[in-house]
Amino acid sequence: MRAALEASRDHVIRLTTLLRIEDLSFRYIDAERWALDHIDLSIEQGTITVLAGQSGCGKSTLLRCINGLIPHMYPGDYRGRVTLDGAPVDKTGMGELAQKVGLLFQNPENQIFMFSVERDIAFGPENLGLPREEIRGRVDEVMRLLGIVPLALRAPHELSDGQKQRVALAGVIAMRPKLIILDEPTSLLDPKTASELVGLVHRLNRELGITFVIVEHRLELLTPIADRLVVMHRGLKVMDGTPAEVLTNPLALGYGIAVPPVSMLYVDLLKDGLSLGRVPAEPRELAEEVNQL
Amino acid sequence: MYWLAGGFLFRRVISPFHRLDPRIKLIVAAEFFALSLAASSIIAISTVLVSILAIAVLARSLRRIGRTMALSLLFAGLIFGLNLVFGLGLLKSLTYALRFLAIISSTSLFFVTTSPDELEQIMKWIRIPRDIVFAFVTAVRFIPVVMLDTFQIMDAQKSRGLELERGNLITRVRNMVPILIPLVVNSVVRSGELAEAMESRGYGSTPHPSSLYRMKLKWYDWTVFFASLLLFAGALYIYHFFHFPF
Amino acid sequence: MSLIEFRGVTFVHQNGVTALSDITTSFDKGERVGIVGENGAGKTTLVKHINGLLKPTSGTVTVNGTNTRDVSTAHLARSVGIAFQNPDHQLFSDSVENEITFALRNFGFEESVIKKRLDWALGFFGLEEYRKSSPLVLSGGEKKRLTLASILAWDPEVVVLDEPTVGQDAIQKEKLAEIVRMLHSAGKTIIIVSHDVEFLWTLQPRLVVMKQGRIVGDGPCAKIMHDWPLMESARVTQPQLVQLYDELQRRPEGPFLDVSAARSWIGRRSE
Repeated sequence: MRAALEASRDHVIRLTTLLRIEDLSFRYIDAERWALDHIDLSIEQGTITVLAGQSGCGKSTLLRCINGLIPHMYPGDYRGRVTLDGAPVDKTGMGELAQKVGLLFQNPENQIFMFSVERDIAFGPENLGLPREEIRGRVDEVMRLLGIVPLALRAPHELSDGQKQRVALAGVIAMRPKLIILDEPTSLLDPKTASELVGLVHRLNRELGITFVIVEHRLELLTPIADRLVVMHRGLKVMDGTPAEVLTNPLALGYGIAVPPVSMLYVDLLKDGLSLGRVPAEPRELAEEVNQL
Repeated sequence: MYWLAGGFLFRRVISPFHRLDPRIKLIVAAEFFALSLAASSIIAISTVLVSILAIAVLARSLRRIGRTMALSLLFAGLIFGLNLVFGLGLLKSLTYALRFLAIISSTSLFFVTTSPDELEQIMKWIRIPRDIVFAFVTAVRFIPVVMLDTFQIMDAQKSRGLELERGNLITRVRNMVPILIPLVVNSVVRSGELAEAMESRGYGSTPHPSSLYRMKLKWYDWTVFFASLLLFAGALYIYHFFHFPF
Repeated sequence: MSLIEFRGVTFVHQNGVTALSDITTSFDKGERVGIVGENGAGKTTLVKHINGLLKPTSGTVTVNGTNTRDVSTAHLARSVGIAFQNPDHQLFSDSVENEITFALRNFGFEESVIKKRLDWALGFFGLEEYRKSSPLVLSGGEKKRLTLASILAWDPEVVVLDEPTVGQDAIQKEKLAEIVRMLHSAGKTIIIVSHDVEFLWTLQPRLVVMKQGRIVGDGPCAKIMHDWPLMESARVTQPQLVQLYDELQRRPEGPFLDVSAARSWIGRRSE
């Protein structure tokens, strides 16, 4: 009876776990150091997870293990298991994986290949051999979703950085993946455009239930919308919890991540014996708590 | 340099000619090209040139085609001069010079009115392998990006004391090295990033990818096709059999 | 007479777009300046006028009394060093030491001086172990340090940093801020173009706000950053501590300069 209950609970957990990384270690060919060192990570469907850490900690490598570029494009010493939506990543073709996970790289320029925006968005579905009407439908739908319909026939060099970012994202969403990974998406954007992008991610998560994993240095932009914060250091996963838990942990600073000032302030106030009602994700929340003291 | 390239770069324009199926545009341009070679008298070649300009007006690209012609005047003049020197006579030399202008402008007409997307479709239609077509498309797509990179690299190196405008030929060539190496390195890195992005969007996952756009011949395409064929045949006949005074 | 002067500078691109509109301002020796504004506001265009990469369409720019129209960029670069955003647009040598000495040779320094400056740069930026390595195998952060090293090697009076914190993690940013402070105390004039308002807040420079080719704000960092209407219209976000100050309904002493200032104020207020 107990076994049956546990089995059904495990089944439920497995249903909502979109990505499971078990004991993953990876070393590039001819490399001495392990880029990833026994990583265990599970991502639930519908969540927004932020991945942070110093340069060289293995974030980029981890992303590529999730979408299959490792090991399909980058062979090496690969140990452990990565299961995405039930499929083992190392044994599934890139075409199938592209419909489960989309990866948005740092520089949108090098992800837009075609001469017109709508043509580029169609690139993924074309590769899948979908019928023309289906492709047209998806392209129109995704352009409406991201508010870029007026840009349909523009050439990429006529777009601003923020627009390029949206077009690249559109191309990824056209594949209808359940999980989208963003690799430092705001690094080339000014703060206003960056927060617009973050707003867009939040909306896509709420309205379409898309799961997001975002690698980012500018944590203050993402703490208001992130469910989870994972910190990596030298190939190891060293911290994993809600942003409130991680950013108020004194270890965080030691791992070289950019703890936002309001989080530091929360911790300092706590040391002074001032306990605020909640951990603030942004200045407004902290002010509200202080005004209630 | 920028100005010269303008004569062969596609510009998004709405015109009756632009609306034609790219294959028809290719055929029309090819017909002009062939007529330029067939016309061996001044009157004949002049009619070809005027016709090209007329189509350029129809395509609302007179300025661009005109620019190409103006720029080729130098080379045309050279052809004129050389032929004269080699004793071919005034009229013949002029004919050859005009022929050159007609060839260049008929080619320009095609490229100015055909978008890279349409070029891609033509290439696929004549069964060029997908990877090669993709390489061509990507190369053209990144031309503006590479140009921008070049300017930024030049800015960075000039800011470190690199003199690009001074010195003899050898010095100038040597001074290109700090510009070319970053350009090449960036291009290599870019190809790597492109490859990752392509893989991540399923490139190559099926042997027969579909296409958002497709070429379809409409009634006006057929009309233009037959009309131009008739005119072409007619012109050929006249050029061949009618003896022009000069 | 200021070190750098802009008088009525307007700059129009070849394609007809006006990038700078009637800019009149000056930068004095030893000043620490931050330039903010959204992408396309004209920040980089402005700084490119300082070393003559761009010459004004109308108006004049003078550096040390010399009109930038009268001399070449290579000449002005001797006193104005600009570190651009992308190190990959600059690195080309076969070794780190050649990369650093490139500019020194261009400027005609003597061999003995070159050797001294090279050793200094390698030491100061922690690149000694990479002396003979190729610049292309360095990590992103190391490449950024190398770019800075190769510019500071020739000891320009003015150092301009164009978006120095892009892609940098927290530790790298801290090191960068330290370097900026050190250079400033050594008497250099520093101009930083940046989006990173948190980074600028820790440096508290004079702040110049640009919008659509014009200067719309110019003053002390603390004062400018808490002018919400100005920041909003220029599409520049405010640092968290400034936002906090505004949310706490403003105290007379002005915004919090750092976390501990906020901490003590809140501590006292809760008593």
